[in-house]
Amino acid sequence: MKPSDYWALVLVFALLAVAPALAGPFYTRLLATGILYGTAAVGFNVLFGYTGLLSFGHAMFWGAGAYTVAIGMVKMGLSFPASLALSLLVVGVIALVTGFLSLRHTRIYFAMLTLAFGQLLYAIALKWRSMTGADEGIYGVPRPLGDVVLYYYLILGVSLVVLLALLRILKSPLGLAFRSIRDNPFRAEVVGYPVNRLRLLSYTISGLATGVAGSLYAPLQTSVNPEALYWTFSAAIVFMAILGGSRVFIGPFIGGLLYVFIQDTAMGVTEYWLLATGVTLGALILLLPEGIVGYIWRRLGGRLE
Amino acid sequence: MVDAGFLVAQLVNALFYSSILFMIASGLSLIFGITRILNLAHGAFYMLGAYIMYTVMTALPGGASAVLGILAAGAIVAVIGLLVEAGLLRRVYGKPEEVQLLLTFALILVLDDLAKMIWGPEYKSLTTLPWGSLSVGDYTIPVYHLAAIAVALASAVGLWLLFSRTTLGKKIRASASYPEVAEALGVDTRRMFMATFMLGSALAGASGALAGPVLTAYPGMGTEAIVLSFAIIVIGGMGSILGALAGALIVGFTRTVMAVVYPVLEVALIYIVMAIVLLVKPTGLFGGREVERR
Repeated sequence: MKPSDYWALVLVFALLAVAPALAGPFYTRLLATGILYGTAAVGFNVLFGYTGLLSFGHAMFWGAGAYTVAIGMVKMGLSFPASLALSLLVVGVIALVTGFLSLRHTRIYFAMLTLAFGQLLYAIALKWRSMTGADEGIYGVPRPLGDVVLYYYLILGVSLVVLLALLRILKSPLGLAFRSIRDNPFRAEVVGYPVNRLRLLSYTISGLATGVAGSLYAPLQTSVNPEALYWTFSAAIVFMAILGGSRVFIGPFIGGLLYVFIQDTAMGVTEYWLLATGVTLGALILLLPEGIVGYIWRRLGGRLE
Repeated sequence: MVDAGFLVAQLVNALFYSSILFMIASGLSLIFGITRILNLAHGAFYMLGAYIMYTVMTALPGGASAVLGILAAGAIVAVIGLLVEAGLLRRVYGKPEEVQLLLTFALILVLDDLAKMIWGPEYKSLTTLPWGSLSVGDYTIPVYHLAAIAVALASAVGLWLLFSRTTLGKKIRASASYPEVAEALGVDTRRMFMATFMLGSALAGASGALAGPVLTAYPGMGTEAIVLSFAIIVIGGMGSILGALAGALIVGFTRTVMAVVYPVLEVALIYIVMAIVLLVKPTGLFGGREVERR
């Protein structure tokens, strides 16, 4: 049987649903982080893998989501659902504005522009002390449902909804339009697609998905700091997508989970875990450019994007 | 009434900072222009330059050690650049951008931790700058800053001469624009790429060496510098030395002025300026022709 995107999603989420029963609270929390990283990376991949635009600034959506929820709950006294709604609004506006500006370019220039806009947000978070707590960030974000395991299931549920929605979009005519722009923007333009508007739409959908993941991250950590907006996290998101495989829908999600565990293992083994992570990343990129899931998928006879 | 001495001191500060930025950004732009690799680890090279300078200046006291430190930083980082090019990046020429970017990103993690291993995690600063200072009114201007500005000017002129007046410069340009033709005419394009990478890396190393004693050396200083370099290149126009110079001056002055006037926007305004330039002239101030195929 050839692997399918839906069945892969069902299988992975079924495994994740039973995981807390086997893992202790530490690993449950780590898995929750991995699920959010993975969801952010799938969001990134809507733009990268399906529309052909490499963003190096996705931390801006992740961080904007995390900050808005933290500000909503801690500074404005909003409920979690209201903060989440506010966060989607903020992320959407940021996506439309930065997308409009960045999409004047493509390829490496687009990557640099998104990176620079991410740094603009980082600079704001670092300086706007009354709102963001500057370099210390915001502490004491309440965790909905209190308990880590219960919150884990909330994260799992929301992530599943986000991924199903994205898959649905990507399988629709809109998703096909994104792919046609990826494969040949000139032809797409000639056929009559409004290429720039569709790119902006993909950019916004991509940003919103990553933003939702970031929004759920602040209550998981019960805090947020500027690291969430720093460009190295954008690079980490790109890495997760490539690590898992950007040519399979579920690839970046698995990439996010793997990334968390590579980092945790490296931290457990050595004080110089960045070095260990860097060597692992470099080796994987050179040896398995199609990603781990991409490799398995191809071996199983699945279709790569 | 603003004091004239204050203005002169701030002007020197802005020029000093612009000089540092010009040297990093021109190296990055040069390497990208020729090899088409956007080296994210370029900022880490800059950081290594700062650490090397610190080591040389603490080991050998005296004004001459600063000169030695700059030369050593340039030379050592050039060799590191050579090793990285020959051992790693040569494998990914012409590969998708994300592979190139992630490989150089992995290199940042490695170099940052190596720096931590060698020099420790704490900030490294020198208590005094060499060569004393001049006084203008109530303000002092370190001679070191003026020397750094002179070094940056010399690099700018040197780069311009290299690419407009020498055979080597022509060979490097030909290797980027028409590799087959260049090869057919007997130019070893592989060696030209190596030379470019070494030169660009040396600029980053020397820039770090100049910055180190003033801005202190610390792990992670490279990741900050690299994004500013991106902003400079976007403002000035990709692959243009003149653009790097203009971009560096704009960023250097924006930051220095805002640090005095309204520090909240010190960094943010740089990116706002970048967005405005982009709206008005998408190719950057000195990026003439169509910059990319989409």
